[in-house]
Amino acid sequence: MMVAALAILGPLVAAALILVIRRGAAALALGGAAVGVGAALVTLARVAAGGRYAATLPGLPGLPLRLAVDPLAAVLAATVAVVSLLVLVYAVGYMAREADQVRFYAGMAGFSAAMQGLVLADDWLLLLACWELIALASYLLIGFWFDRPGAREPATRAFLTTRAADYGLYLGIFALVAATGTTAIGPSLGARGGVATVAGLLLTLAALGKAGQVPFHGWLQDAMAGPTPVSALLHSATLVAAGAILLLRVAPLLPGTVLLVIGLAGGLTVLLTGLTALAQGDLKRLLAASTSSQLGFMLLAVGAGSPGAAIAHLVAHAAMKGALFLGAGVFQHARGSTVFAALAGVGRAHRRVYAGFALAGLALVGVPPLAGFWSKDAILAATFASPHRAALAPLAILGTALTGAYVARALRLLWHGTGRDEPVVGLAPMGAALAGLAALAATLGAAFRPLQDLLGVTLPEGTVAPVVGLVAAAAGLALGWGVPAGRFPAPARAWAAAGFRLGDGLGGLAVTPTLALALALDGLDRRLDGAVRGVGRGALAAAAAARAVDTGAYAAIGGVGWASLALARATRRTDERGIDRLIAALVRATRDLGARVRRLQTGLVHRQLALAAGGALLLLAFLVVGGLLAGG
Amino acid sequence: MITLTVALLIGAALFGIGLYGALSQTNLVMIMMGIELMLGAALVNLVAFWRFLHPDVYAGQMFFLIVMTVMALEMAVGFGVATARFRAAGSVEMEEAAELQG
Repeated sequence: MMVAALAILGPLVAAALILVIRRGAAALALGGAAVGVGAALVTLARVAAGGRYAATLPGLPGLPLRLAVDPLAAVLAATVAVVSLLVLVYAVGYMAREADQVRFYAGMAGFSAAMQGLVLADDWLLLLACWELIALASYLLIGFWFDRPGAREPATRAFLTTRAADYGLYLGIFALVAATGTTAIGPSLGARGGVATVAGLLLTLAALGKAGQVPFHGWLQDAMAGPTPVSALLHSATLVAAGAILLLRVAPLLPGTVLLVIGLAGGLTVLLTGLTALAQGDLKRLLAASTSSQLGFMLLAVGAGSPGAAIAHLVAHAAMKGALFLGAGVFQHARGSTVFAALAGVGRAHRRVYAGFALAGLALVGVPPLAGFWSKDAILAATFASPHRAALAPLAILGTALTGAYVARALRLLWHGTGRDEPVVGLAPMGAALAGLAALAATLGAAFRPLQDLLGVTLPEGTVAPVVGLVAAAAGLALGWGVPAGRFPAPARAWAAAGFRLGDGLGGLAVTPTLALALALDGLDRRLDGAVRGVGRGALAAAAAARAVDTGAYAAIGGVGWASLALARATRRTDERGIDRLIAALVRATRDLGARVRRLQTGLVHRQLALAAGGALLLLAFLVVGGLLAGG
Repeated sequence: MITLTVALLIGAALFGIGLYGALSQTNLVMIMMGIELMLGAALVNLVAFWRFLHPDVYAGQMFFLIVMTVMALEMAVGFGVATARFRAAGSVEMEEAAELQG
């Protein structure tokens, strides 16, 4: 398990080191990716030898984070690691003249680490976390040139569209965990009945959003605003593949109705985005529409009940589409644009790159013995064997023809015409990575037989399917090479080139329902508001009554207080004017008396004596009178 | 034979003379002589009442002796005051002594 964990830790540590050290970013990212490739390949070899690994990391309390390596995870991890490494090698040349390498390489390494985490996760919690990290990393990378006009909006659009579809993932996981009581992926897929249908549909919604399928396909073409290595990584092995990988993981859960929905959505995407690719006037946007279309093939395979074919096509597509984008990046550097008008004749100036590009393109069309032939062949056979063959098989055949048509058209436009070439810097690493991926795209078909044994699945085979596929591809190639796009009716071409904006994810299926929901909620809000206002009015009346009572009580209290004050004032007045005045009068009288008596005190002896004699006489008179009264 | 009435009349006459003297005289010594006369009148009355009304009780004689002692003390204090007054003011005329006015 340690080796398998290195597949995550290699890019993750590289991203952390890049952010900390801030120089030698490319070397660090390459080192991390190389470690990841080594770990993934060793793990694949061990798993092929029969080894199975699982590890439980301490996560949240009661919610451990589980990692597991089964054959599917090992194959996907190896695919992701190899493509990431080659794209990084390419980026060394492509990004040589760009500023802010730290941000770019840290984002790419973090992207790879999150993708490996998603692949190796055996736990819904960890898967969800990695899923969100991928969305974040893709947002940062698509908006890498955020200072250029028109780069921010696509990043935001990609983020919002995939996030809107992510509600399906959240709700589906909630349903599964609630039904089965475990966050481990394996046991939770044992759910059956209504839960399986509902959860399957919700998870399908998330996968459709991530994989750029109808009706969410719009964001994927806008995401071309990012640097070409980002597009290559996004479209081959990581971001959009995450949607397909999710469906492959939960394939055992899905009941027949959900499979039909997936198949139809995939088939519709194959058709619509194939037409979009055919009408595109921009090489990278053509490739982006093609990505949606090819992922539609994988969904067709899943819907037809053959996940093995989808896995094969996923692996093959990672190599083919990676090579196509790498070639497109070289052309972009040579002409300073990705519009076909500017790219006319660039293939003849860069013949070796054109050869790699053409090899990958033909593999995508399904020309034997290149990888795409085997995987597309398997998908066609699967649709023929499916119970819904009437609906799915024509879509698959038409899609094959469309693939041929748009690849041939791109090859023709790149070859014919003339333009002014600029010198391309860093051609050596770009060419090396392109050569690696193109070689893989050419030869992977040989690996499908051991891949079947490893995964324990059998790719559907048939005698009709290869013939039909070849005829369709050849017809498409002839159509694309021979008939210029100008022959299509102009309105239909414009509509297709715009990615069928009517059925567009954000415009048609997110904004309109959201606005309708908002309107309905507004009405509900108004009614609620009325009710709240009624309650408020009642409360106001009650408050007014309470206030009246309060005012009365206040007045009464005020009266009591006033009476108390009056009483106090009267008491004071009595005090001041009555008692105080009485006392004052007494004092005054005493003082007056004292003053009078003072005058008696003359200090003359005879006067005193006379007074004493008078007093004695007075006493005598009292005595006599008293004695007479008593005696009488 | 002297009767109680005669004795009381003599006492009253003495008291009246003493009173007059005490009130009319301005000399401190003369005032004190008037007071002595009044005290003497009181003594006469005391003796007369004892002799004619309660001759068998000795308390009257004791009371008489105490009054005589008081008279002697009063004279001693009075002449002390007069001497001091004379030394301080050079006169014992009471019309000139108004320092005790309130």
